Amino acid sequence: MTIQAQPISHTHEGHHPNPREYLMLDPKPRGEMNAMVMDAMHATSWRFWVVAAFLGLVVLVCLFGAWGYMIMEGLGVAGVNRPSYWGIFLVNTVFWIGISHAGTFVSALLRVFKAEFRRPFTRAAELMTTFGLVQAGMSIFMHMGRVWLSYWMFPFPNQRQLWTNFHSPLMWDFLAINTYLLASTMYLFLPLIPDLAMARDRSTGWRKIFYRILALGFRGTEGEWTHLRHALGIFAFAILPVMFSVHTIVSWDFAVAMRPGWNSTIFGPYFVVGALHSGIAAVAMVLIVVRATMKNMKYFIRPEHFNALGKLMLIVSMAWAYFFFNDYMVQWYGGDKWTDALLHFHEAGPLGWMWFGMLICNVAIPWLTLWNKKVRTTPGLLFTIGLLINLGMWFERYIIVPISLTINRMPFTWREYVPGVEIPLGIGTLAFFILLYMIASKLIPLVPVWEVQEGQLAHSLRKFGKETVVTVSDLE
Amino acid sequence: MADTTTLLAVFPDLDPAAHALDELRTLGVHDDQMNVIAGIPVTEAMLGRPRQWSNVPRLALGGALAGFAVGLFLAVGTPLMYPIYVGGQPLIPVPPSIVVIFEMTMLVMLIATFVGVFLDSAYPSYKPKEYVPEISDGKVGILFYCPAGDEEKFTQALTKLGAESVQPVEAQPL
Repeated sequence: MTIQAQPISHTHEGHHPNPREYLMLDPKPRGEMNAMVMDAMHATSWRFWVVAAFLGLVVLVCLFGAWGYMIMEGLGVAGVNRPSYWGIFLVNTVFWIGISHAGTFVSALLRVFKAEFRRPFTRAAELMTTFGLVQAGMSIFMHMGRVWLSYWMFPFPNQRQLWTNFHSPLMWDFLAINTYLLASTMYLFLPLIPDLAMARDRSTGWRKIFYRILALGFRGTEGEWTHLRHALGIFAFAILPVMFSVHTIVSWDFAVAMRPGWNSTIFGPYFVVGALHSGIAAVAMVLIVVRATMKNMKYFIRPEHFNALGKLMLIVSMAWAYFFFNDYMVQWYGGDKWTDALLHFHEAGPLGWMWFGMLICNVAIPWLTLWNKKVRTTPGLLFTIGLLINLGMWFERYIIVPISLTINRMPFTWREYVPGVEIPLGIGTLAFFILLYMIASKLIPLVPVWEVQEGQLAHSLRKFGKETVVTVSDLE
Repeated sequence: MADTTTLLAVFPDLDPAAHALDELRTLGVHDDQMNVIAGIPVTEAMLGRPRQWSNVPRLALGGALAGFAVGLFLAVGTPLMYPIYVGGQPLIPVPPSIVVIFEMTMLVMLIATFVGVFLDSAYPSYKPKEYVPEISDGKVGILFYCPAGDEEKFTQALTKLGAESVQPVEAQPL
């Protein structure tokens, strides 16, 4: 058992913050925390139903309605055409996979590095992973057109004994995204089991039956905790390379093509860092909304968590800028005629504002704001910065996909991409993501109370000379 | 177990529970006849209990090997079964094969880990069990077998150590 000690941060004026501002130093009885989480699930205002109904309508019309229309009429109602055969569907696919990286980062990477601040929001982040991947899968199916033939992607021999082509990055995509989806869902469910057992013990009626089935008979015996701890340790370490591999493989959809602007060896890490950039910003946004709209969440999600996420957003923004400049510098320096034309089109073409908007949202705004603790711990400001980051990252993917496809080595084919049915379908996926999240927040405990209690037991205060420091025991 | 009673002692915290386990050993209860039920993952070291065996890591390793074999079959075996040269690449190119083998290794390993939890914990299990809902509210429960007729002696001993309740317990639906 190891112990770390760190001073509680204080200002230069010597102001010592109240330790109870920090969740890990402000323990409540477990029963009370359980009641708070259950209350948050059960307390549903009329506003929830209004928003859910509105989102349901949007999903019905913009997602399923528009998709049905596209299936009936064909892909011609989308804007994809020569030379931009990949459009907003792919942009949204990459975007949603990027959002999904947040959950794994928060839940797995921070668990591996024993960052204690992760404890109250790992489940909220993991839900984003699962639902984000659902939207990514839907977006790629939309792009596919003939979705009823999607089974062709499954690795089995057809009637001519011909297997799928494993040399194709699309096949790597299929394997990687499905691996990540299954792994994330399992990683969401395993630490949820003890909280489902808690919900089972505190519920009646249909909820009790629902939680009883999902809790699988969990009691909290030594054996059960041992098996769960081993599994979570394996998952936390193993899902990280899967997370890195997924977005790297998605980047190879572009990088392995011999196209100006795409054929870059930096695309792998560039995409991974971009995914973390949009993902962490999205986690911050979701937590701000959850804290503002759900009962009792102000106890679990505190300014200290926004402070930590804000710092992460700043660091990842710097990393993204580094990779962006790496990619840009090498292309610009090479002087290839077609790459030059592409870079000029990015900056000075009809959608040049998007390129500058990307840099302002992804780099300038985070760098100018997130160094300030007051900004990081103000929910409204952090939400706005997170929204702008996600907007900037969507712009980045739009620039990489349809805008870059406009410029190829055959100028007579150059034609601006004008989206069609992609717009309502994209809005539909966003509405579906929010709707799924809202439904999940009412069905499963959003805060892993057992993890919060474990963390609170591990934290204590002690005096080092005249300084009061926080000591954290490694209970494992 | 002949002539024994199943008792469940509920403690408010970990410390009295750890002392209670020592007391139970003094009173002749073997480690095999005790089980600790808690709302957080207390380790064997905290309770002075014997190390719990888990097959989950072994199943994960087995899953990784099986996944490696599946990935090898897909990346190397399938082109050999139906050779088609694509993209100017060799029939079995190394870099794409690494991608396929890696993904399948990770997928099957993680599925095996997940299934391992189910197998080791005997999930799902909806049969009646000895349990009280207070445990999920942070209490620590010690389930143990004591000789029939000695319930009072054990109850007094554990209550002196801080047990909130020591009751005979029967299996009931969770």
